[in-house]
Amino acid sequence: MRDLAVRLAALDADAGAALRVIAYFDSLAESRAGLQAIVRGAAVLAGCPARLDDHGRRVHVRVDAAGNAAPDPAAADQAWMRTLLVPDGSAVLALERPGEPGPVEAMILERAAGAARAVLDRTRGRVPAADPALVELIVDASAPPDVRENALHNLNLSAAAGIRAVAHPGGPALLPAGAPLPVGRAGIGPAVPPMDLPASYAAARTALRFAADGTPEDPGPTVVHADDLGAVALLADVPVDADAPDLRRLDQAAPWMLATLYAFADAPSLRAAATALRLHHSTLQDRITQAAHLLGWSITTPSGRLRLQVALALRRLRRHPV
Amino acid sequence: MTKPPAFDPELGAALSAIAEMLPPFTLDGIADARKGGAIVGPTDEELSRGGKFTVEERLVPGLNGDPDITLLICSPDNKTGGCIYHTHGGGMVVGDRRLGMDALLDWSEEFGLVIVSVEYRLAPETPDPGPIDDCYAGLLWTAAHADELGFDPSRLIVAGGSAGGGLAAALALRARDQGGPALLGQLLMCPMLDDRNDTPSAVQMDGLGVWDRGANLVGWSALLGDRRGGPDVSPYAAPARAADLSGLPPAFIDVGSAETFRDEDVAYATRIWQAGGDAELHVWPGGFHGFDMMVPTAAISQDARAARVRWLNRLLNG
Repeated sequence: MRDLAVRLAALDADAGAALRVIAYFDSLAESRAGLQAIVRGAAVLAGCPARLDDHGRRVHVRVDAAGNAAPDPAAADQAWMRTLLVPDGSAVLALERPGEPGPVEAMILERAAGAARAVLDRTRGRVPAADPALVELIVDASAPPDVRENALHNLNLSAAAGIRAVAHPGGPALLPAGAPLPVGRAGIGPAVPPMDLPASYAAARTALRFAADGTPEDPGPTVVHADDLGAVALLADVPVDADAPDLRRLDQAAPWMLATLYAFADAPSLRAAATALRLHHSTLQDRITQAAHLLGWSITTPSGRLRLQVALALRRLRRHPV
Repeated sequence: MTKPPAFDPELGAALSAIAEMLPPFTLDGIADARKGGAIVGPTDEELSRGGKFTVEERLVPGLNGDPDITLLICSPDNKTGGCIYHTHGGGMVVGDRRLGMDALLDWSEEFGLVIVSVEYRLAPETPDPGPIDDCYAGLLWTAAHADELGFDPSRLIVAGGSAGGGLAAALALRARDQGGPALLGQLLMCPMLDDRNDTPSAVQMDGLGVWDRGANLVGWSALLGDRRGGPDVSPYAAPARAADLSGLPPAFIDVGSAETFRDEDVAYATRIWQAGGDAELHVWPGGFHGFDMMVPTAAISQDARAARVRWLNRLLNG
């Protein structure tokens, strides 16, 4: 009779399979099954390991395809099929299989996530947001080491390996290894031992200044890693009132031009930039010509492109002075 | 009757898919059930597990001139002197010697046991006592050929699930009464023990789960005909009928709380204790009949299988 269960697992991508997935997780939710049962359902139905990582609540559940609980301290792979349990991405349900989910996998993720959300809200309460005062102490280089050590202990982070400081416009946050990246403007510091978080936060604050709002007026990456800046970080030392004619030209640009210039400066090719902007590449070519005329320098040569990138970076630094 | 126990969440979620594959069971439907693909054991190749087991079949004499019986014998390469004699499940009316062998091979790999599984004749074509006589004849042959099969005759265990659990319990009774082989233990998985089919759990679970009261009535009626539930049923047909449960080998009994057999299985363990015997009883909450085979991935199924292995370990190595 063993193959009865095998058949339950061998779901083809047909309508019946989707209905069975829905019925399975509805039944689990109705009988108030726990998180492991829900993650196990996802693993068994998908035929691969599944995991739920809720960094906010520090809940980690992983089950292999045979239904065995199989904790794995390694971080989740961003390439896996996954769905967010909360909008900020601090809790994720993933099937350990790379690529775009097919219809059955998408249904498994959706229904399992719905059931898991209900359990988390019912049994674990609201996310215990890390006390902002403690986080501020942890990243404060002027706080005495024993005070910072104590704050780390209170947040259960004394032994956290590879933790990063995050600078948000509203203040600091911490990013444990494997946790999903924040959304919204943020600078991410390098991974450090917990007691070195003040240095990580200093670098994160610099990175935050390079982060854009991601709007037409302020196009650019919303999340910037200090690790990726390298020598470009030195631009942050330029006084914000330093005279820079290139910036004045940029500020005179038409509203469409900033997004076009950023896409062009950031993309590996004109065609890639056109795709990002959803323009025909010949249309983009015309705009680039027009923009270069207004700026007063060629932006298609390597040195002209660098000059554009520097100007755009300086413009972001001025918009975000602290 | 009060409302029945709820199914375990994971088992309940799988039940609708299982029900699609197990249509309602009737006397007229037995032929179809035998053809159905849902109840199929492993092939010879699967039994060999890539050469870990030597698989052979032996034709041995039936009891008192009955037809010969086929025994399926799986010998591991790491024999440690024990043997499990297996009676398969299937409500006395379906299944064959291969059914349920996966679990036995798992135990054999762990403990180095020879596995012998008997092909007994099925009801209703062969009514009682044909099936239990076949099982007993195979047990006698197995015990008498311990040397040839490579096990120590003092380390012979009977085991079975569902109807096979009932047959294994009957073998222990019969061996005790008729001076048969001394058994080291009896492993009874959700055993089918009581033809009267009228316990509170049988009534409570009528129409629910797997192998409900109606299906159970079909199985017992096929085996016993008009004698079912009457005064003339032998304990070797329905072990719950035994008046004396003393002097039996140590028993392992498990059952789900949400199945027909719950109360008859609990009662059997209780009566073994009352008779001064050794029994280990597990009642798995929210389990339907055969849950660990049908939903092997569920947490409760993993625990149920592990409990059997731990009992075997104490029995064999304790």
